[in-house]
Amino acid sequence: MNIAREPLLDLKGITKRFNSLTAVNNVDLQVLPGEKLVIIGPSGSGKSTLLRSINLLDELDEGVIRFEGQEVGYVTRHGRRHLDRPKAICTLRAEIGMVFQHFHLFPHMTVLGNVMEGPLTVQRKPALEARGIAEDMLAKVGLSDKRDVYPATLSGGQKQRVAIARALAMRPKLMLFDEPTSALDPELVGEVFDAIHTLAVEGMTMIIVTHHMGFARELADRVIFMEGGRFIDQGTPQEFFGNEQGNERIKNFLNRLM
Amino acid sequence: MKYILGRAAMALLFLCMVAAPCLGGDDYDQLFRRSSDLMAQGDLDGALALLKQVPAPQAGADGSAFVSSRMQAARIHAAQDEVAKAQADCREVLKVFPDNSEARNQLAALERAQRSRWATFLSDCLRFLPSLAKGAMMTLLLVLCTMLVSPLGGLLIALGRISRFRPVSGLCWFIIWFFRGTPLLLQLFFIYYGLPSLGITLSPMTAAVIGLGLNYSAYLGEIIRGAIQSIDHGQMEAAKAIGMTYGQAMRRVIIPQTYKRLMPPVGNEFIALIKDTALVSTIAMVELMRSADQLFNTYFNVTALVLAAVIYLLLTTMFTFIFEKIEYRAGIYEHR
Ligand SMILES: Nc1ncnc2c1ncn2[C@@H]1O[C@H](COP(=O)(O)OP(=O)(O)OP(=O)(O)O)[C@@H](O)[C@H]1O
Ligand SMILES: [Mg+2]
Repeated sequence: MNIAREPLLDLKGITKRFNSLTAVNNVDLQVLPGEKLVIIGPSGSGKSTLLRSINLLDELDEGVIRFEGQEVGYVTRHGRRHLDRPKAICTLRAEIGMVFQHFHLFPHMTVLGNVMEGPLTVQRKPALEARGIAEDMLAKVGLSDKRDVYPATLSGGQKQRVAIARALAMRPKLMLFDEPTSALDPELVGEVFDAIHTLAVEGMTMIIVTHHMGFARELADRVIFMEGGRFIDQGTPQEFFGNEQGNERIKNFLNRLM
Repeated sequence: MKYILGRAAMALLFLCMVAAPCLGGDDYDQLFRRSSDLMAQGDLDGALALLKQVPAPQAGADGSAFVSSRMQAARIHAAQDEVAKAQADCREVLKVFPDNSEARNQLAALERAQRSRWATFLSDCLRFLPSLAKGAMMTLLLVLCTMLVSPLGGLLIALGRISRFRPVSGLCWFIIWFFRGTPLLLQLFFIYYGLPSLGITLSPMTAAVIGLGLNYSAYLGEIIRGAIQSIDHGQMEAAKAIGMTYGQAMRRVIIPQTYKRLMPPVGNEFIALIKDTALVSTIAMVELMRSADQLFNTYFNVTALVLAAVIYLLLTTMFTFIFEKIEYRAGIYEHR
């Protein structure tokens, strides 16, 4: 890893509370361009909340987010933190793709319509150009033949691949995956894994929250174990899955998964 | 019943006989008296036979006994519901005396009575249809105006209710609370009769559209709000995640998904609307209900009301059909 490179994403002191519960507790994280990060950890440890606060779907209580060196998302007015103007927030979100556990495809649009929607509505590209981009993205996830059907007719794996294409159509600089394979039948995990793997090989910067250890083993540059809103441990996959050293709790967690 | 009527008719004929003894010559006086007696005894055939004995008069001779006998026979036949025979009696008189007004009137009356009730109903319908159709056009216009205005008003109210900006959501809450909580009739009265005292005078049509529009906006507002909030939160998040603003997400993602869910309850409201337009007849607006009411009060003829009911049914059926079609179309993406 090239330490000299400036991080694409730089989180400092990120804290998010839900009433008395601290879901994310004073987390620091730097993600370099092209880096693939996999976050694992037990349910309720704050993984989703961390991802969601990166693209500002959840509003932070404390902390600073820098994207490409710029501080983003929050402004201080009259001594109080506020979310930035909607315009600025949308601009940031447009550069960060997100894929959800439950796909959240737009059911009233065709597959092509789903993928076109970002370029068309958000980037205001001409319909023809948006269509071209969408067709490219569908080809990339291997679903060109499904372009004119509605999502209701797709399998879970196909839906998730469309969701990936939809995010990619915005040409994001960072992709966030929140348990992209957890809602899938086991035999459908492979096709989604392959799609994400292709992306990784192309050099996309990505943060993947997952219970699927294949991601951690095969495409992670770095694996982070999260619990109770904190990063308990992090390292390369070799360090993580090599049995020699390591944290008892992490070993237990991994053993339970496998 | 028929028996009693027959009896009454006979008694009447009998009275006529007694009161008019000087109809024919002396020969015939007795004949008439005997036939009256037979009638009183219930022997109508006998009475008829006697009456038929009076011959047609020679040219230039006095025909009054002949006319009386045939007219009497016609009355007996008519009382027995033997319309064709009664008509034949009248024609017999008219053959000899073409200008006899009694026979003519009787014949016309018989013909009128013979026309079926359906024919009367149909001719009434034809008579009432023009003004009812005019009223129906007003009703339709009112319905269409309200159908145009209230979904927009309802959408604004729904979005206002969802808004996190307190004054807006409070105002929308108030509008819903007020317009759903008071009778539409009262609202219409207030707008049409009450506002002039504040210096605002409205035509009946304007007042009606404003009243119905506000009322239905309030109802639709709650329905639309419910539909918006029933859409999975993930949809809004996915829209935001690709960089959409709140407005874009609403317009492109959330609201289009509500259409199918909205159609059944909104269809219901619009069917109710078609009937609720009848209320604006109270603020000097001449629509279908008012037209029917005016006809009824002029002619005391229920046909006007029946016809109005049929037109309302036609309107509601037509709109039900249209809404079903739209609902199917709106949900086409759910069909596998
Ligand atoms: N909107 C919310 N309101 C209140 N509490 C919340 C909310 N979202 C998350 N939490 C809580 O914050 C904690 C962290 O949740 P989070 O969803 O980030 O966990 P996770 O690591 O993604 O878990 P999982 O593996 O089950 O997805 C949990 O205890 C959760 O109950
Ligand atoms: Mg989660």
